[in-house]
Amino acid sequence: MKKTVKRAAVLYALVAIFLAGIILLAVQFALNGSKWANNKANRHIYSSGSVANAGTIYDRNGTVLARSENGKRIFAKSAAVRKAVLHTVGDTSGVISTGTHYLYRSTLSGYSLFNGIYSLKSKGAGNDITLNIDSGACRAAYEALGDYKGTVAVCNYKTGELLVSVSKPSYDVNDVPRNLRTSEYYEGVFLDKACSGIYTPGSIMKIITAACAIENIPDIYTRTFECKGEYKTGDGTVVCNGTHGTISFQQALNESCNCAFARIAIELGAQKLRATAESLGFNKQLYAKEVPLVKSRFNPSRSSKTELGWAGIGQSTTYVNPIHFLGIMNAIANSGTGYAPDRIKQTGTLTGIIGRMPEVMVRMNPDTAAQLKRLLRSNVTDKYGESRFPGLVMCGKTGTAELDDAPSHSVFAGFCAREDLPLCVVVIAENAGWGSGVAANTANRVLQYLDNND
Amino acid sequence: MAKAAGESRFRQTTVMVLITFFQVICAAEVILAQDEISPVLVYIFAGYIVSEWLYMMFGVIFTGSDYFELEAIAFFLSGIGLTVCATISEDYALKQVVAIALGLAVYLVLLLLIKNMRVAMFLRYPAAVASLLLLAANLILAKATNGALNWITLGSFSFQPSELVKIAFVLVGAVSLDKLLSNTNLIRYIVFSLACVGALFLMRDFGTALIFFFTFILIAYMRSGDVRTIALICTAALMGALLIIYFKPYVANRFAAYRHVWENMDSTGYQQTRVLIYSASGGLFGLGLGEGKLRDVFAASTDLVFGLVCEELGLITGIAVCVSFAFIVVFAIRAAKGAKSSFYVIASVAAAGMLLFQLMLNVFGITDLLPLTGVTLPFVSRGGSSVICSWGLLAYIKAAGAPFRLPSPDVDMSRKSVPSKKGGRAA
Repeated sequence: MKKTVKRAAVLYALVAIFLAGIILLAVQFALNGSKWANNKANRHIYSSGSVANAGTIYDRNGTVLARSENGKRIFAKSAAVRKAVLHTVGDTSGVISTGTHYLYRSTLSGYSLFNGIYSLKSKGAGNDITLNIDSGACRAAYEALGDYKGTVAVCNYKTGELLVSVSKPSYDVNDVPRNLRTSEYYEGVFLDKACSGIYTPGSIMKIITAACAIENIPDIYTRTFECKGEYKTGDGTVVCNGTHGTISFQQALNESCNCAFARIAIELGAQKLRATAESLGFNKQLYAKEVPLVKSRFNPSRSSKTELGWAGIGQSTTYVNPIHFLGIMNAIANSGTGYAPDRIKQTGTLTGIIGRMPEVMVRMNPDTAAQLKRLLRSNVTDKYGESRFPGLVMCGKTGTAELDDAPSHSVFAGFCAREDLPLCVVVIAENAGWGSGVAANTANRVLQYLDNND
Repeated sequence: MAKAAGESRFRQTTVMVLITFFQVICAAEVILAQDEISPVLVYIFAGYIVSEWLYMMFGVIFTGSDYFELEAIAFFLSGIGLTVCATISEDYALKQVVAIALGLAVYLVLLLLIKNMRVAMFLRYPAAVASLLLLAANLILAKATNGALNWITLGSFSFQPSELVKIAFVLVGAVSLDKLLSNTNLIRYIVFSLACVGALFLMRDFGTALIFFFTFILIAYMRSGDVRTIALICTAALMGALLIIYFKPYVANRFAAYRHVWENMDSTGYQQTRVLIYSASGGLFGLGLGEGKLRDVFAASTDLVFGLVCEELGLITGIAVCVSFAFIVVFAIRAAKGAKSSFYVIASVAAAGMLLFQLMLNVFGITDLLPLTGVTLPFVSRGGSSVICSWGLLAYIKAAGAPFRLPSPDVDMSRKSVPSKKGGRAA
């Protein structure tokens, strides 16, 4: 009898296992609750797979980009704005995986471990989000691209605020084209090219090569380069966009001379070039705050000098992500500290008061940054002409990404050196031909809009 | 002694006041949420709460004891179940409250019967025979209900025989193994257990089969204390299970979604993922009764009721439900210390272990910590058989004795102190 009573204590073991299970369950709720509650199958938030009830998304000027009313999602009033901000705001089904609707779904649903989605249930709306995005400027950028596909991104380099992020092709969420998933025109429409696209950079890559040269070749400014229209590397030929004669380093960048930069790249060697590129964020998984970026890739050939030469001028196997390159421009413009472009202004009362902490995405030697800034400024003053960017005090570099089987992409990366307009810009106009054309003009139009409407 | 009793009584009243407070809030939330106040629901809730207090005041007449911790927990849990039913329909609430009343009746009758050891001894044969007959009848009569064949339907009335057999299983096990018995008795009990578990397997009610197996192991350990034998039985069972899975792959397929529920969200993992999604939605304090979405999922008020409670009343209430069972088990262990004979010890431990084990299969099953077996949450899940069985099992724990008082050398003295305390309270 006594023994039997003692054996009853075996139940304590069962209770212990049970309590351990309950604790494990509670921990799982704490860790995964947000993910679970924001699952698409949650009919408090979603209705047949689409966001129905969620907080409002505003742009920086208070324009409503998306809100909920009676279990339906209502978007910006203007069709042009809806198209221009589609990829940033995102669709309601989360197909655009970097859209705010999907990426910030737990904020929008107002989920908290403490209250679950009670606020969504009681007020019919979760947390509101205010974006740094200027929907008017996005519209201007979208329209400036004209018929070309591509992407435009503008960022304040002093704060990291992302003002413009446009990706084309786009569509109107209120009037979804029937052939969205079948038409060739809409291929890749669900991809936000600004953060999820990668492009052959063309000559804007010379900025990276120049950075490497500044840091590794002490007499780079006193050197001269001979350009006869093409450069024999020893195992092949790099073709130039013109015949520039004898030119300095600065002139080589102004003229975007392939011969000079191929020579510099070969002299630097694959290892140093790659080290500089990687120090600036190439071959690395980067995040623009919460937004995952597709890796920029730079793997210059160690065996072929010609390939190495081409890599140094942005062709060959080099690819850049537009938002990452915007971060590099931020670093050059902001004395070496390149903030991550942040699309979110505030997600609630707390961030509204203390603001969002800027995050550094790209770091550069401040001295290198200052020299690059001077070089990029000379591009505009000595080559492109101030009149193309009236009043902006523009610094920048055009580029042409040559493609094998299609017209080249027109590329521009630059920034305003004005204290009151601290903006970086990256534009890629697909298949739009030479860089001094569409991309630079688009950049100018967007920055002019921001200059006049801010 | 009298002072100690007084303190214990005071705490009981406090607990009951708290439980009543909780129930009144729940009832008000349910009743006021409707456009028109339903008199039926008002009567049901009022009747339920009044009955609780009447039981607390006069239960001593039936049970001969003046501690009601176990009943307080059972009333708390049953009340949550009743509330959930009331948010679905008046009809469900009515059925549930009748089931709770029946459960209480079964509890009191069983308590009365097993108080006398000889009656308990006598009962084991009829109980065993009735159990086997019920299960056999179930196998022959039962029609396929939701994959498991564990229901008997008589006209508009349907019940789960396996639930009633649980009560008998504990009795038969505890009585058979109370005394050092002959091998024949032991073999008879093993055959009886095998028949029960086997029948449940044939009904494809693997969850309940597992509960019976666990209880069998528990009783065997209580009797023998031989860990090696237990290990041997478990190994044999495991090998048996492997053989079954080998020859009947559909058994394993039933559990294929385990730890993969998110990949099978809309098929085999449907219920588990919905429980997790909506439980998380509820936060710590819930979205409010009737405001949830889990209630639209199949079996929300029966097997998935834990998820429904978490979503609508909050994770805190859900955990309170779970912890209540831990209290029941701790009470059972403590009560065993004052038990008159080892029959009461074994029965108490077996019943408490059975309840907790079933709770674990249920709560951890629907949240994917364990494979989903489709057993009910004792006391809380909607359904008469389950509620009646839960209350019935409670009788074994109660019969063992008081959890909080050391066995008094003078029983008559402590008995006498009860009426005098009552008089003092009234004055």
